[in-house]
Amino acid sequence: MNLQVSTFENYTLVRVEGRLDTTNAHELEKSILNLIDGGCSRIFLDCSGLYYISSSGLRVLLIVQKKLAGINGQLRLSHLQPGIREIFDISGFSSIFSLYADNEAALKG
Amino acid sequence: MSEYRDERTLLLNNQLDEIPLVVTYLDQLGEDWGLSEALISSLNLVLEEALSNIILYGYDDKLLHTITLYFSRSGNELLISITDDGHYYDPTEKEDPDITLPVEDRPIGGLGIFLIKRIMDKVEYQRKENKNILMLKKKLEP
Repeated sequence: MNLQVSTFENYTLVRVEGRLDTTNAHELEKSILNLIDGGCSRIFLDCSGLYYISSSGLRVLLIVQKKLAGINGQLRLSHLQPGIREIFDISGFSSIFSLYADNEAALKG
Repeated sequence: MSEYRDERTLLLNNQLDEIPLVVTYLDQLGEDWGLSEALISSLNLVLEEALSNIILYGYDDKLLHTITLYFSRSGNELLISITDDGHYYDPTEKEDPDITLPVEDRPIGGLGIFLIKRIMDKVEYQRKENKNILMLKKKLEP
């Protein structure tokens, strides 16, 4: 898994690439929680390069979503690959996350 | 199991860093057995969920254990069985999470077994000779 963090307008843009699984989910958890602790409350996760997620990755997304909801923040996810979208649908995550087709829609929406 | 034509066995240690081996193994299996990329990706997820549960929660000691993965294909059915010598644990007894709950009420975790059950067509458990055997079946598209 690769992570790239940048700032776009008033969003912290996190681009996550590769596989998000049991062996590395804690890295994403740590990075994003650090961003939140550092004051980022609007996080935008670009998932266009993410091609695999397991329940440990879903767990991290739920932790982040809950944490941001608690501080009136926002989490937006864009460009889920079809396989990832299917896992979101099965898990009921499609209805609890703000999903956008592409980065532009996510930044406007 | 004599009716099964194609069979393979993979032995793993009870270490999380063995999981990437499964990825490589499944890619090869998919190529050899002509399985779709989408199916291989689903099987990847199913095996990661099952194996990480066993490795993280299945043992009462810190010793090295072997987990046996057995794959077989007969006609349009794929069977995967996972055998471990950890303590008794029947994942099929685990209650499904309520996936309609709003975010504030959703518990953290508990999705792994549910994903396995939703992706595979049949999930069965047996306890035999002090071993857990999880049998996973999936119909193959013709």
